[in-house]
Amino acid sequence: MSEGIAAFLNPAQMAKLNRLALNSRYVVEGTLAGRHRSAQKGASTEFADHRSYMPGDDLKRIDWKVLGRTDKYFIRRYQDETNLRVYLLVDRSGSMGYSSSPDLPSKFKYACTLAAAVSYVVLKARDAVGMCIYGEKLDVSLPCKNSFNELNNTLKILQGYKPAKGTAGADVMHQIAESINRRAMIIIISDLLDDQPEIIKALAHFRKNLHDVIVLHTLDPVELNLDLKRGAEFEDMENGERLIADPRSLAKEYKDLMGEFVDKYRKACAEMKVDYRLVKTDEPIDTFVRAYLEERKRMSR
Amino acid sequence: MLVFANPAFLWALTAAAIPLMLHMFQRRRTVVTPFPTLRFLKAAQKRSSSRVRFENILLWLLRTLLLLMLCLAFAMPVIRTTSAGSWLSRTRRDVAIVIDASYSMNYELDRGKVWEICKDAAAAVIEGLLPGDRVCVYLAAETPIPVIEKPTTEHATVVQAIRALTCLPGTSKIDEAVATAIAALEQQEGRREREVYVMTDGQSLPWHGFRDAEKHDETVNSEGRPVITREQRDAVTFFALLAGAKAPENVWPSDVKISPLIMLSGQTARLNVRIGRSGSAKQITVGVEIGGQERGRRSVTPDADSETDVEFVVNGLEPGIHIARITTPNDALPEDDEFLCLLRVRKQLPALIVGPQNATRYLKAALAPGAADDGVRQVDTAELDSVDLRDYQAVFLCDVFPLSGQAVIRIEEYAQNGGVVIVFPGDRAEIPAYADMEILPAPPTAVESIPVELSARPLRRIANLSGQVVNFNMSLPPGTVPTVALKRVLRLGAMRENAAVLITAGDDTPMLSGRAVGRGRVFMFTVSAERDWSTFPLTAFFLPVAHQLIRQGAGASVQPPHVVLNTQPLVNEVIPEYREDEIIATPSGNQLAMRDAGNRVYVIDSLSEPGVYTRVRAGAETPEPVMAANADRTESRLIPLAPAEIEEWTSFKKLFFANDPEELTKLVDEYRNGRSLAEICLWLALLLALLEWWFANRALRKQTGASEKLVVDLAGKVVTQ
Repeated sequence: MSEGIAAFLNPAQMAKLNRLALNSRYVVEGTLAGRHRSAQKGASTEFADHRSYMPGDDLKRIDWKVLGRTDKYFIRRYQDETNLRVYLLVDRSGSMGYSSSPDLPSKFKYACTLAAAVSYVVLKARDAVGMCIYGEKLDVSLPCKNSFNELNNTLKILQGYKPAKGTAGADVMHQIAESINRRAMIIIISDLLDDQPEIIKALAHFRKNLHDVIVLHTLDPVELNLDLKRGAEFEDMENGERLIADPRSLAKEYKDLMGEFVDKYRKACAEMKVDYRLVKTDEPIDTFVRAYLEERKRMSR
Repeated sequence: MLVFANPAFLWALTAAAIPLMLHMFQRRRTVVTPFPTLRFLKAAQKRSSSRVRFENILLWLLRTLLLLMLCLAFAMPVIRTTSAGSWLSRTRRDVAIVIDASYSMNYELDRGKVWEICKDAAAAVIEGLLPGDRVCVYLAAETPIPVIEKPTTEHATVVQAIRALTCLPGTSKIDEAVATAIAALEQQEGRREREVYVMTDGQSLPWHGFRDAEKHDETVNSEGRPVITREQRDAVTFFALLAGAKAPENVWPSDVKISPLIMLSGQTARLNVRIGRSGSAKQITVGVEIGGQERGRRSVTPDADSETDVEFVVNGLEPGIHIARITTPNDALPEDDEFLCLLRVRKQLPALIVGPQNATRYLKAALAPGAADDGVRQVDTAELDSVDLRDYQAVFLCDVFPLSGQAVIRIEEYAQNGGVVIVFPGDRAEIPAYADMEILPAPPTAVESIPVELSARPLRRIANLSGQVVNFNMSLPPGTVPTVALKRVLRLGAMRENAAVLITAGDDTPMLSGRAVGRGRVFMFTVSAERDWSTFPLTAFFLPVAHQLIRQGAGASVQPPHVVLNTQPLVNEVIPEYREDEIIATPSGNQLAMRDAGNRVYVIDSLSEPGVYTRVRAGAETPEPVMAANADRTESRLIPLAPAEIEEWTSFKKLFFANDPEELTKLVDEYRNGRSLAEICLWLALLLALLEWWFANRALRKQTGASEKLVVDLAGKVVTQ
């Protein structure tokens, strides 16, 4: 059985993802020099602004032309460039174990593969990627590293996890938001089937800390359309509650509710400038990632 | 009243509980399925509970009804058409069957002749009767023909009689046959259900009697023909089988006109043939055969449902009687594809001149200039009794009065039967001698001498008065002003009935008068045929006038080239030179039935056989054609009758009509036994099944919700529409 990234992506998929890049829409704070705009002023060639000279400043930075015109000392400041730190939050709550068909992966399996694909793209751009796995609690939090070996180790850990019984998504998100103290990119891969206002608050928490947040709302097609033919006794995958229902007769109302649920997240994310994407598990991972990143690149120009 | 033909299947109605049981059973055997969004399912169930309940109830109703309908169909519910339906199925019946015998019933359909179809249908109706039911059969022809006059219970005999029936060549009047049949039913004792069945091809013409009849209460109309009363229309159940073609096609020769009416050997004659067409416009070929030899063939394209004239020129016919046969191409109704007529060609028009030599000299010299001309014969007055006047087309009486009473009677009879009598006065006769001749246009009153100074008179033709002397014309050359010199002239009294002055000499002196007598003509000159009275015999127009008189008179008396069947014509009008001792043979070789209507007038009783009638003269070996009879072709114009017209025209209260025997059998069965609802139940079941399928599989799944408004692109971007 293959391990690490090979367990999730085959060479053909990796080849498709090779030339892609994940760019942040906001300034980030990295630890290394990179190609992403930093909040700091630094040593790049891109002029940022002027600042009054203060004792201790390097004389090389005094803008002599401004001194000649104004007889005042000003320091030229340049935009700092740093690397991107990407944190992947993978949900392994009970509901993520759902798969409507043997032909489709479970949402958790899909989320893991998606996390692997995004990590691969991030590392190829020499940025750093970290990962948080949570279910009923924060199971593991791995810091950002920019090494494929580290990624393989991270994915091996991820491979060892299975969906949990319950969920505590909102709390975990708050916890993670508190723990990441520098601006980074947060990618949440989850079905978001939790207390919706709390989840939205958690997302707002990330934004408050100036993180660039991407929500990849992962859902099974049946969850969206309730395209089931036979009546059954349905059991909730997280709290064990049961309900006898005929899906065909409930389809209309169910779809209405599901539509409202998705739309509420979509609107909330739009207000908070969180990039919200709905991912269906019947969609090929590489196709989605490629389409998404290309669109993001287009929008950042 | 609803009864079940197969009530054992009513037990199956308990199957209606199956959907409910299945529903309940299914609920208990649900499979547990893990599902992540149960909260939405619960909310959806809460929100849609009333709608789901309604849909479930509706589905349950549909399924239950479907099973009920299927069970009912197998149980075969039967609803009586009347409240007394069950009584009807047990009651005795008197049934009258009227079969349309008009020749249009010979129309050939894909499944056989309409006539045979109708006979089979009639037999089927009889075979469906119960023992004890009485039945009578009538043929609808020009007049109703009883086949089984009184209702009988011997059904096998009736069927046998129907099988032996043949179609007649004429048209039919269904209303009279139905009235006669109903009258026959009403003469039976006991109160029974009465049914009348009319088997017809559904052409409009035979039903016109219904349309034109007044709906009154008498059983006969003012012409003595049977009619159907209001009470009968209400009481009798009327079934009509309209078995004919719905869009019939037919071509037929309907009439022939021959010009001139009298054909002389060597003359050219024209045959104007009228062709009728039912159906769409189509090119056809019309042929004429004379004496078995084809004499002409023309192509015409009659318009749809119209009549067209076609003209044929015939010449080179020998003296004698020739049979002309006009034919149209064979079609679905071959009975009217042939039309017969007789062409009577004469060598010349024979004339008899009676009178002394001196009085007839000029006339004979004018009519028969050659001594060998056997067409004109001159006899003395005394020889008149020994001459058979019927051998001559015209008889000239020149100074013959007084005549014996026998001679007067013979001349009058000759004129009545179509002969032409031309009278010239003379010196022999006194005025009273004319008194016995009552056929003269006017009684002579005196002989008047004309002074020399007044003798020259121009001749003037007086226009004919309608209905008097037909078609008389002097035919003088244009610009001619004929003048005669009168010496003596016969003065006439008041003109008799159907008489008129035709030529005057001067303004007020009648020169020639004429009178229609029977089928013949009597002409009288007021001057003699020799030159003692006038210069008329010496004038250039003496001969043309004499010829005109012979020909015009002969034209009036000529027999028609063809006669119409089912009429009762006078023998003398249709058969030339008929003698009492002659036997006229029908086309099939039988003797033609005639009756003496008195005063030597004979009437043909029933002219029912189309074809050429013949006679064998004494001494002759071969029969001579005397008359060609054709059916009245109005029946050939095939116009299908609409059921609504039957309803409107017949006004029967209980009226059923069918287009084929199977439909008739079904109608009769429904009327007698009630109407089965099994088929309706099956159709309803099918409808319910379709409705259930649509509702369960389509209607519920086609509902659109908010999620249909969400569009997710490849990049996961959600757009609401």
